[in-house]
Amino acid sequence: MLLSLKNIFKWVNSGGQRIFLLKDINLEVLEGEFISIMGPSGSGKSTLLNVIGMLDGFDEGEYHFLDESVHTLKEKHRANLYKEYIGFVFQSYHLLDDLTVKENLEMPLLYKKFSSSERKAMVADMLDRFNIVGKKDLFPAQLSGGQQQLVGIARALISSPKLILADEPTGNLNSKQGEEIMALFKQLNDEGVTIIQVTHSEKNADYGSRIINLLDGRMI
Amino acid sequence: MLKHHIKLFFRNLARNKSTFFINLVGLSSGLTCVLLVFLWVSDELNKDRFHVNKERLYQVFRNVPNGQGSLNTYGSNSSLMLTSLQEEVPEVEKAVAVFGINGNAMLQTEDKKLGSTGFFASEDYFNLFSIPLLSGDANEVLQDINAIVISKEMAKTLFGTNTYPIGKNLIIKSGVNSFEDLFTVTGIFEIPKNSSENFDFVLPYKRFLKDRDPQDIHWGSNSSSMYALLEEGVKIDALNSKIKDFIKKKDSENQASVFFGLYTDNYLQNRFVGGKRSGGRITYVILLSIIAFFILCIACINFMNLSTAKASKRIKEIGVKKVIGAKRNALILQFLTESVLLACFSLTVACAIVVLILPWFSDVTGKELEFPLNSGFILVLLGVAFLTGLFAGSYPALYLTKFEAIKVLKGKLPTSFGELIIRKGLVIFQFSISILLIVAVSIIYLQLDFIQSKNLGFEKDQVITFERQDGLAYNMETFLEKARNIPGVVNASYMQGNMTNFSNSSSNHRWPGQSEESKKLTFRHAHVGPSFIETMGIEIKEGRSYIDEIPNTNSKIVLNETAVKLMGLENPIGTVIDMRGPNREIIGVVKDFNIQSLYEEITPMALLCRNEWISTLLVKIRKGEEKRTLTALSKLYEEFNPGLAFNFQFLDAQYQQLYVAEQRVASLSKYFAALAILISCLGLFGLAAFTAQLRKKEISIRKVLGQTAAQAFIMLSGEFVKLVVLAMIVTLPIAYALANDWLSDFAYRIPLRIWYFLGAGFVALFIALFTVVGQAAMTANSSPVKALRQE
Repeated sequence: MLLSLKNIFKWVNSGGQRIFLLKDINLEVLEGEFISIMGPSGSGKSTLLNVIGMLDGFDEGEYHFLDESVHTLKEKHRANLYKEYIGFVFQSYHLLDDLTVKENLEMPLLYKKFSSSERKAMVADMLDRFNIVGKKDLFPAQLSGGQQQLVGIARALISSPKLILADEPTGNLNSKQGEEIMALFKQLNDEGVTIIQVTHSEKNADYGSRIINLLDGRMI
Repeated sequence: MLKHHIKLFFRNLARNKSTFFINLVGLSSGLTCVLLVFLWVSDELNKDRFHVNKERLYQVFRNVPNGQGSLNTYGSNSSLMLTSLQEEVPEVEKAVAVFGINGNAMLQTEDKKLGSTGFFASEDYFNLFSIPLLSGDANEVLQDINAIVISKEMAKTLFGTNTYPIGKNLIIKSGVNSFEDLFTVTGIFEIPKNSSENFDFVLPYKRFLKDRDPQDIHWGSNSSSMYALLEEGVKIDALNSKIKDFIKKKDSENQASVFFGLYTDNYLQNRFVGGKRSGGRITYVILLSIIAFFILCIACINFMNLSTAKASKRIKEIGVKKVIGAKRNALILQFLTESVLLACFSLTVACAIVVLILPWFSDVTGKELEFPLNSGFILVLLGVAFLTGLFAGSYPALYLTKFEAIKVLKGKLPTSFGELIIRKGLVIFQFSISILLIVAVSIIYLQLDFIQSKNLGFEKDQVITFERQDGLAYNMETFLEKARNIPGVVNASYMQGNMTNFSNSSSNHRWPGQSEESKKLTFRHAHVGPSFIETMGIEIKEGRSYIDEIPNTNSKIVLNETAVKLMGLENPIGTVIDMRGPNREIIGVVKDFNIQSLYEEITPMALLCRNEWISTLLVKIRKGEEKRTLTALSKLYEEFNPGLAFNFQFLDAQYQQLYVAEQRVASLSKYFAALAILISCLGLFGLAAFTAQLRKKEISIRKVLGQTAAQAFIMLSGEFVKLVVLAMIVTLPIAYALANDWLSDFAYRIPLRIWYFLGAGFVALFIALFTVVGQAAMTANSSPVKALRQE
């Protein structure tokens, strides 16, 4: 098993009232799964994704990731854990505008212990795999949205994570670009990468192997 | 990784050119100031440090009660002090006496003639002071009574050869001492660049004593400076308390107490108050260092403020990097790398500016500064750049990297209350410094102006002054007689010392009805010509001047008002007093006049009509006829001093030189103040531009809801006005205290008025407003639809 959430609660206090963002979430994810999280706006999809990605904490419950109990870990260890095993893909891509495609891909490797030649090889590999060698010296602003997201995914994959978390990866794309990105996810999943995505679209959700529906922070 | 940081730095820079420009201009001006002041300060601090024995090298000072409840400190001593020091004070290893010739000696070879400065010094002079001898032995050069040691430049000018003219003869004439003799060159010296004293020749002290009237050699006649090299390990405080009554023991009538003061302190701490060293040049060294430091701070603050204000532009990068795996330390390092890089850039620019303006700066400071290219200085440069970068980058680096990745990725930048306070506080600090500098500059200028225009009690305009040299040593009276006949010359006379720096004094005088306290009274004691009072336009309060007393002037005396008051004489005219020598009858009392810088109060003064020790001639010329009169005077001068240029100075120009240090500081701080306000405004401009951008949406909403453009404008600019007004309130008390402190050194000073301070505040406010109105107007007038649609 890759990860398991047990009785996860998350809340904020507002005006003396406790407002629940996540309520009693129980979820087990196996390696190789492709899960889609769905639900209306404000139902807690992104919050859940952030909790899984360890970018956000929770107030109650247990979270195990690869046999580590995340809820007992200190902030620093938790960060190390997600940095090693989790890749993120964002709705608005979040590429660095000042860096070229190649440099954007290389950036995560700079914060890990890779030599310059190793980094070059890995970046070349990734460019090849995503068929964007010709774009390697362009800046994000010179790419279409679909291409930017492609780079975003490549960047998430470059340090070979076990899990990809994608928050509405096609939200800013037109339908054709969206389909291409989803096809790519499907392909990656077939190659063995575990994926959890947040999406509004039934069609996109269908690419996955399992759908989780949320309403007001609760799984239904 | 470093490569990555550097790459990002450059791309960022290309994207935010205006911010980069503001930071570059600010930091490089700040660094330029620091470098210039560093060069200046290190030059000042290095003065006289070349003396090998500087830790043990002392001058003997006298503290004399001035009869007005305080002590005056003198660096001069009786020539008797030399042997007494050598024989009676075991702590003294060696002692040296120096008698300065008042700047007007003529050195003459067979074919050349040169006015030059020098002094008589006893044998060990070159052993005590580490002035290198290029030729000659330090133990021997001053042994022979007719020896002369001259500077390398003098040797070259007079003898014109490149070999040292040892054994050659030259004649020295000194007008003051009516002295002419043949000397033989025994040594050549070269004065190190960082020496505070500059002179062309040294004669043996023996030669001075030989001509000295034995009557004038006593403990009350103080003509020479005394220097001592103390034995190693001597505790100076213990020695000073032991030696305090040294003179009183020799001469029971003498009131002077003695102390040793470190010679190397003479340059920077040249002022004495109440018998103790009390600042001097060191004040300006400290002042300018602080100013330079503050200007650099202002520039660093610009960097901090702009970097944090523009945070939203970088925040995405930080968020992404954090999610992707960057630790906070790595990000902090990245920002610090950027700021250090910027500082290095600025340093390069600053160095280029310094090299360019160094000649100008040397001119303003009256120094010969050069850009030193040694490893030590380069290390200092790099150190300064590094520290500046770290300091400027510290706050942005810590601030920008502290947010949680998830929050900043959502695009929300949490602005905390504390952070706003810090940013505003920094702006207030910048403007406080700027206002402080503006106040400082205006107070210094007003005071200098006051000094310039103050009625000194004599007429300094239209008077030219020149030294009594060469032929005038013998024919001064004839020269003056002829000079008076030149049309355009109003009057002409002579005096001992000169009108702007007069130090000769005497004490132990007796008069009828003298009180115990007034026995201690010290008088300025000047020999002047019979028509001196008329020539200088000094007013006579009672009695008459010397002009009608010729030739019986030797038994007469003229005093100033202060003297008469402190002596307690009710009917001074006709009173006979003992002024060491023949008894003299008081024939006149003149109104007080300032013969010192205005740092000093007026002291009792006696004008004696005598022609000994005269060093300066004074000629008053008629207004509007200067050119013709000067030509005629010059011709007459040439007759008396063949081959010598007529080197004269207007008295008011000479008077201005008294305040040359103040004038330098004034003009320097003028530039610094301008720079401080410029950098502050640059920062303010950047901040205003950014705030305007941030508040576009808010203003649009307000406008849609009915706010007029004018109201929006007032709201936007009001924000900054508030900051400057706050800065004003913070600064003014500090400025007042500092100004008061500086002015209290002057015996004559301007009254402090509140509007000097308010004025400075309003100047700053005005400039700040000028900086922000453009931005505010643009935002206030922009179309609300556009801004709202962008959301």
